[in-house]
This record gives sequence, structure tokens and C-alpha cells, in this order.
Amino acid sequence: MNIKRIIAISHKEWREIVRDRFFLALAFVVPSTMLLVFGYGLILDVENIPFCVVDYDKTPTSRDYIYRFIGSRYFNFRGTVEHEELLRPLFEASKIRFALIIPEHFERDLRAGRSVTVQSLIDGVFPFRAATSKGYVLAMNRDFNGEILADYFSKKFGIPLDRAFELAQPVRIQLRYLYNQELRSTWSIASAMIMFVLMVSPPFLTAMGVVREKESGSIYNIYCSTVTRGEFIVGKLVPYVFISVLNSLILWAWTKFLFGAPFKGDPVFFFFASVVYVICTTGIGLLVSLMVRTQVAAMMVTIVLTVVPSVLYSGLFIPISSMEPIGQFQSHLFPAMYFTDIVLGSFLKGVGIKHLWDRVVALALYAGLLWVISFMLFSKRPRS
Amino acid sequence: MVSASSIVVKVWQLSKAYRNHRAIENVSLEIRRGEIFGLIGPDGAGKSTLMKIVAGVLSFDKGTVRVFDIDLNSETSAERIKQRIGFMPQGLGLNLYADLSVEENIDFFARLRDVRGGELKRRKEKLLAMTRLDRFTDRPMKHLSGGMKQKLGLICTLIHEPELIILDEPTTGVDPVSRRDFWEILTELIHYQNITAIVSTAYLDEAERFHRLAFMYGGKVIGDGDPETLRASFPKVVIEVATQDQVEVLERLRSVFPQVNGLGGRIRVFADRTISKGSLDRIFGEIGINHFEEVEPSLEDVFAMLIEPGSSNPQLDRTRGKVVAPRLNEDLPSKGKHTFKESIPNCHGETVIEAYNLTRDFGSFRAVDNVSFEVRRGEIFGLLGANGAGKTTLIKMLTGILSPTSGEGKVAGSDIRRAGREVRERIGYVSQSFSLYQDLTVVENMRLFAGIYGISGKRASVRIEEVSEMTGLGGYEKELAKRLPMGIRQRLALACAIIHFPEILFLDEPTSGVDPLGRRRFWSILSNLVGNEKVAILITTHYMSEAEHCDRLALMHGGRIVANDSPVALKAQLRADIGELLVVKARNLQKVLGPLRSIFPNASFFGNKVHVFASDPERAKDKILETVGRDEIVEITSQDPTLEDVFVFRITQLERMERT
Repeated sequence: MNIKRIIAISHKEWREIVRDRFFLALAFVVPSTMLLVFGYGLILDVENIPFCVVDYDKTPTSRDYIYRFIGSRYFNFRGTVEHEELLRPLFEASKIRFALIIPEHFERDLRAGRSVTVQSLIDGVFPFRAATSKGYVLAMNRDFNGEILADYFSKKFGIPLDRAFELAQPVRIQLRYLYNQELRSTWSIASAMIMFVLMVSPPFLTAMGVVREKESGSIYNIYCSTVTRGEFIVGKLVPYVFISVLNSLILWAWTKFLFGAPFKGDPVFFFFASVVYVICTTGIGLLVSLMVRTQVAAMMVTIVLTVVPSVLYSGLFIPISSMEPIGQFQSHLFPAMYFTDIVLGSFLKGVGIKHLWDRVVALALYAGLLWVISFMLFSKRPRS
Repeated sequence: MVSASSIVVKVWQLSKAYRNHRAIENVSLEIRRGEIFGLIGPDGAGKSTLMKIVAGVLSFDKGTVRVFDIDLNSETSAERIKQRIGFMPQGLGLNLYADLSVEENIDFFARLRDVRGGELKRRKEKLLAMTRLDRFTDRPMKHLSGGMKQKLGLICTLIHEPELIILDEPTTGVDPVSRRDFWEILTELIHYQNITAIVSTAYLDEAERFHRLAFMYGGKVIGDGDPETLRASFPKVVIEVATQDQVEVLERLRSVFPQVNGLGGRIRVFADRTISKGSLDRIFGEIGINHFEEVEPSLEDVFAMLIEPGSSNPQLDRTRGKVVAPRLNEDLPSKGKHTFKESIPNCHGETVIEAYNLTRDFGSFRAVDNVSFEVRRGEIFGLLGANGAGKTTLIKMLTGILSPTSGEGKVAGSDIRRAGREVRERIGYVSQSFSLYQDLTVVENMRLFAGIYGISGKRASVRIEEVSEMTGLGGYEKELAKRLPMGIRQRLALACAIIHFPEILFLDEPTSGVDPLGRRRFWSILSNLVGNEKVAILITTHYMSEAEHCDRLALMHGGRIVANDSPVALKAQLRADIGELLVVKARNLQKVLGPLRSIFPNASFFGNKVHVFASDPERAKDKILETVGRDEIVEITSQDPTLEDVFVFRITQLERMERT
């Protein structure tokens, strides 16, 4: 290894990147944009569900029941309609996603101690949203039942209302969400997006950077010189690793200061782990660049190779533990999963090297493997 | 004899295939120290593959390659030659870094090769001065002209002072002045630094520049040696006849000689060597030609003969299998057979293209600058120029694809600014890139184009047959367009462009990358087209040798027309301006170089010869012999100047005028 030659290559590469506006944008604008777009756009919380009511009863009790929904932040009241037939066009036009139909004699029957059936319609096009909405509806209904019961006990036994409440709910659950008390999905999405962006952007840049030399023919300057394979690979990739490390800091700052995600872990450990991860993903780009000839092909292959595993197998949307064994196995093959653990652990859980060292080792092995394979595949005297 | 150590490159029975395409087959070559060795051939001949293999940047299948006595049989052994070689891949400036300045590019190449400090400074200064790039060291490479890119590429290849340089098509698409400059620099380097060079080119007129050369075709070397030996191997005598009435004289000559070629205002006749001067006089006298002269066969003649022995006579094709002859030289069809001809009024000489002060700007860049010319019916008008000279932009304006920034133009009588469908039906256009449907057959393509112009049914069938005969596509009717060889494809593109009886044909570099034989056929089709259908042809090319075929030609340089006349008139004007061309052949070029330069500052090198211009040839000859010494000079002969000579003179004159 001749360090001067490595510096020569890195220096040239850096100048090219900085002077080429397209490349510079690709290097610094795209990653942050990705984080902002996904961070704001990919919100999984179900709130403000638009809904309508058909109230055939029109009594204080029915109104009381309805007001519980209107007052909730999970629902967005869009008005009442006279007849349930009128609901269908609203659902079809996606004006509402939920409707309550309160039958006649709602108040009378309840007072008489008869159970009543309230019809609730939920748009089931997105099962995930529907299931969440159902949870809200059931919870509201349960509370209402509890109050009726408590009211009944209070009157029947002549005990104070709080006591009656306790009687009505013998077993109560006390729930506390750890690490993300308010269950803000932006926190976890934004921090997981660091994983995603650093999975996609470095290989993309690297593959484009190497393949454009192949496409133009300037790679022959390397082939026919005395620069060794190792010198070329290291010299060529140092700028890309540097850019990506810089990006990891920028993304970290966005997540912490713009999205307000708490960073509870060890900054030094997290920085070190990010560097290892970036070296690893840069290696993916290097490998791709050795196998394709054109920038277009490099783009396509990199996207397929990086987006799919980082979305499906990182544990971001689908918990690894709920996957089929084969899926779990695949998850362990891709670096995305390990870094997801590191990011979420460092941001939300506040754990450090003690709990995450094995993930860093896995990433380091992965990086080493990619670079060694690339080194073996790279030939200064190729077959075509 | 050549001693073993003076052999720098030895290639023995080399073969190389990419997947199922054979790029090189059984090639053997020897390149000696201190020579400029040329690889000449069309696109796809295997030149680049061979050069990459010799440079040790491409592995091969069979055979041996030894460079500096090192057997290139592995990547490790290939590494051992790399400090001693320089390689410039194909594509003007493509291996350079667009966003880096001239100096940064040079520095990068130097640092890759461990050239640093004072040594780098010294070499850089020398090379920059030599290439006159020293004023542009801060300019980003992407803002250099084609010629400057090529020179920068050369500097970057030479910065580590290699013993062998391998340059892949360094002159393609470069303007004539830069091309000449390039050869000057290269020759000088070879002479003073004992470098060996392998240079490939698609231009046959550059063949004279090489000490030795190899003709490559279809992956094989079909002939090699020095230019003189190759020329001497030509089995025929070449006779040139100057004529005004080409069609008439051609027909008469063809009745006597099997091989006749029309070329601009001249006709070339290939006669057997056995024929005596006396009988030639008699034969020419009988057909009414009194003035003719025997000329040296060109290397293009030699190459064409090597590709296909007897090929200058395309009639012979008819005997070959299913490929029916493009009966080019004598396919002057009998009058009554072609019904369409009656529809074309015979009005030779009518002006069909007029351009007045046409200008086109792209932002702050002026692509075409105040261009005026006229083209008449029945005329081939050539537009010459380097890449970026403005040829394509000009054609696009004339065909109504681009509107001019200022100036006026008329095509077929209509204003080009308002050129509508009516005008488009009267013109045919063959674009630079292949614009046919690859998955359609030859006939389907032609039928499609006929349909576009509303020719259908029986009329279409008759016309298709006619056109395919005219363009020599007989026998290829059922082939898919993508399977056709390059030369045939271009003929198909031409066929599709003339199917609707256009009066004017625009051809944008139709022959680039086609082998010389294919180019000759193409030109012979064009001259018949002009003769028979009385169309006007406007054609662009960057082959200087093709310019000779044009009736009139204009040279474009930096968006302007710098010369516009017939080839003969242009040369005559050059003679009047700077005199006769003398070719000096010396025993040892290194010794005569200095003295010759002192008398003729613009003396230029062609391989082992020097070209000088002298207004008084006899006195100049005496002066040369006197100054250099009789013993050093083998011979001094006069030669016809080439069109390149004309253009180089015109451009340098123009540039000089602008500076003062």
C-alpha cells in the first residue's frame, strides 16, 4: 500500500464530488430529504378518524354516548345523518371511515335494564387502521358500560360513586409504555430512518461513483497504472465513507432536534457503530459496482438490494420474532436488522455497548466480508 | 534485420471472444522500438480489443502476447509492464475528469504514477508548452475544445515518460488543425525520446503517418507492413481522369474497364498492371479521353482490395451466394423501367437549399454563426467539420427541427421557419443515430416509411423494389434490421429516406464507423442517386477522404464556414496561396528535422517523410538539398495536396487574422 497514491485517488474523487452539482446533491441533499419525507410522512398513529352518527333515539343518553366519541382526539366528528342509507355514499367517497348507529329506544331500554346493540361500521380497506379503530371503539364502549354499572350500583346500594366504580371493575390494568411513554411513532420512525437512509444512500453513491468511471473509460487510467487493487478500492471509497459518516451526524441532528426524539444512549458508542455500519453499506455499493456496467444498472440493483431488506427485514414494520423461521433467518443475513437494534437502543432505550456489542461485531464481520469479496472480484485485467 | 531486443511488442496467434462474439481471431504482429505503428480498420474490427490486451488491461483466450519481453499471461505479469506504458482509451477526453482543471488532471495522473515535485514540474512545463495548453491550466476539462481534450489526454498519458504509448483512436472527431497538431507532437516525441507508439484510427488518410501499419477487419489482421510495401502490393494500376460530365464518361469507361470509381470531379480507373502505356493511350483515345494520368494507389485502395480481393469491382458480388449484388457501379437503370422518374421534372441546376446568414445560439454558446450557402439540384454538397463544429445544428435548422436564432433559409422553395408537412414530404433525412426499427425486417421498414408518406399498395411494392435495387439491398429483404452489418444498415436508412421520392436528401454522418469498402459503395449509390433521380444531397462527414466525392463542399469550424467550393478549386486556390506540396524522404529524419524546420517553419511529418509547401518547387528542392545535404535525402517528389492541407491552411489563416 502506497499511501501517497491512495491520497491522490481520494483527493481526486473528493474534488469531483464537490464540483459536480448532481453528485453533491446526491451526497448531501438526498439523504436529509429522505429522512424528512419519511419522518413526517410515515406516521403510523391512527388519530382523527372521520365519523358520522345516525341517532334514531335522540335522547340525552344517546347524545351522551355520542359525545364521548366527539370529544376524543382519536375521532373527528363529521356530523349526523338522518338515515343509515345515507352512510354508504359517505363511506364510498372516503368522507368517513367510521359510523355509529344508535337504535330507537336506546335510553328507554337502558333504563329498563335491557341490553342494547349499537351498530358500528368501520372501513376495513386497511386492516391495520380498522383494527386500531376497533380498539378505540371497544374502549369507549367499555368505559360507558362501566359508568352505567357504577351509576346503577351507586343508586342500588346507596354507596358513593367512586366506590361503585371500583365495584364495577374488580380487576384493573395499569399500563405504562416503556422508552416511549406517549407512543409517538415519529420518534421511532425518525430514528429508524437513520438506519434506512444510511442503508440506501452510501451504496448508491459508491456504486454510481465507481460505475461512472467504468462507463466513461477513466477506469483504464487505474487498470494501466501501477496502482494496486487495494490502493484503488481504499482510495476510491474513503471519500464516500467520509460523506456517509458526515451524513450520519446530520441525520442524528435532524432526528434529535427536529423530530424531538430523545437520545438516551452513549454518543461515542453510537458514532462508532454508525461508522462501522456505513463502511458495511459502502461495501454493498462497491460489490454492486463490480458486477454491473452502467450507472442505470447500478442504480436499479442498489435500490433492490438495499430498500427491500431494510424495509422488510429490519424489524421496523414487522417484528422479527413474528416472522416465519426462514424470514428470521433472512433478517439475520442483512445488516439492516443489527443497526435497527443499535439505533432504537441508543435513541429510545438508552442502552450502549454492554447490550449492543454483538450487533456491532456482526456489522464489522459483514463489512469485512464485503470488502474482501470485492477485493477478490476486482481485476485490473478483466475479461471484458 | 531487426534484432530481438528491438521488438517491443510481439503478438502471436492471439484470439479473444466476448461471450459469443469473436473480437479477435488469430492475430500475429510485431512492433519495433521507435516506430509509430498504426492499427487501421472500421468500428468493430477489433482494434480496441487488441490495444487493451497489449496494454495489459484485458485478458485474452488464446495465443501469446509479449511486451518488453514479459509474457502477459496473468494479472501479476501484466502489472510488471505498467510503469513502462501509457494507454489512452477511446473517446475524446472520456478518460479525463470533467470537473478537474487541466493542471489537476495532469497532477492526478502524475501522482498515480509517483511522479512528484521538481520532476513533475519540469515535465509538466515541457508538455504544456509543446501542446500550447500552458495558457489554459486552470480551465476545467469539460470546457476544453475537442482538440484540446485530445492534447490533454496525450499529456496525461506521457507524464510518467513511458517507453510505449498505446493510443486508441486519438484523432476521431477532432478538427483538421488539431489533428495535424497532434501528429506533429507525437512524431516529435517519438523522434526525440525514443518512444514507441501504437495508434489506431478509422481514417485511412492517416495511414501515411505510420512507419508501419496493420489493416484490421472482422477481428483479423488482413495486411501489414510499411505504407510503401503495402502500396506496391496493389495488383492494379490506378489511372485518374478529370471530367466535367461524370455520368457520361463513367458509362463509357465501364464498357472497357471492369473497375471504375467516380470521385468528385474525377474518375479512377483500375487497370491490369500488364497493360502497356501505348495500349492505354489507344483505349482512352477511342472513348474520347485525351488527358489521363497514372497515380499511386491510395492505402484505401489497398485496404479495399484486402477486404475483398477484386472488390473495387462490386459487380462480382452478384456471384456470391444469397447476397445479391449491389450493382453499384453500373446500376444505371434503363429509362423506361422506372415510372416514377417522369414525375420528377428534369431541372438540373435549380437552387433547392438556400441559407442566408443562419445563426443559432444555445444560451451564450453560438453553435452556428452566420452561415450562408446554396445547394443545387443534382449536386452533392458536403459539410465537413469536427465534432461540435455545428454541422448537425445546421442540418436541424434546414430540416425544420430547430428554428434559427437569426438569418433566413429556404428549402425546396419554402421558408424554413414555416416549413410544414408539405416541405417534409419533399425532403429525406438520415440521422446520425440509427433511427430504424430494429425488430422489423428490411422490407417491413421500407413499407412502414412508404406508408408514412402515403405510398401504398402496388405503388409501394414497385417503389420498394426499385429502392432496394438502387441501394443494393437485394437479398437482405427478410433480414431483421438489427442483424444487418453496419454498412448495410446505413444503406437501409438511405433506402427509407428516399422511398417517398424526395427532392433533397439530408445525410448526417451516414458513414461514420463503416469500413472503406462499405463507404465506397455508399458513395457510389449516392452518386447514382444524384445522376438518376436528380436529387440534391447535403451530407456531413468528418472523413477528409470522403470530401473528395462531393461536387462542392463547405468546411465548418467553430460554427462558421471557412471554405466553400469544389474540391478541385479549393486545391487550386491552395496552390496559388502557398505553392506546391513537396514530399521529402530522408535517410534519417532526426538529422534533417532541424535544418528543414529552419527553411520551412511549418514542415510536417508523415511517418518517415516530411511535407513542405513551396511556391517555387525547383528552387525549394535545391535549397533543401543544399541545406540538409544531398546524402541525407532519398528523394523529393511533388504531390497533390489533400483537402486536409487546404483546411488546415484555411483555419490557421483565419485564426491568424483574428489574432491581429
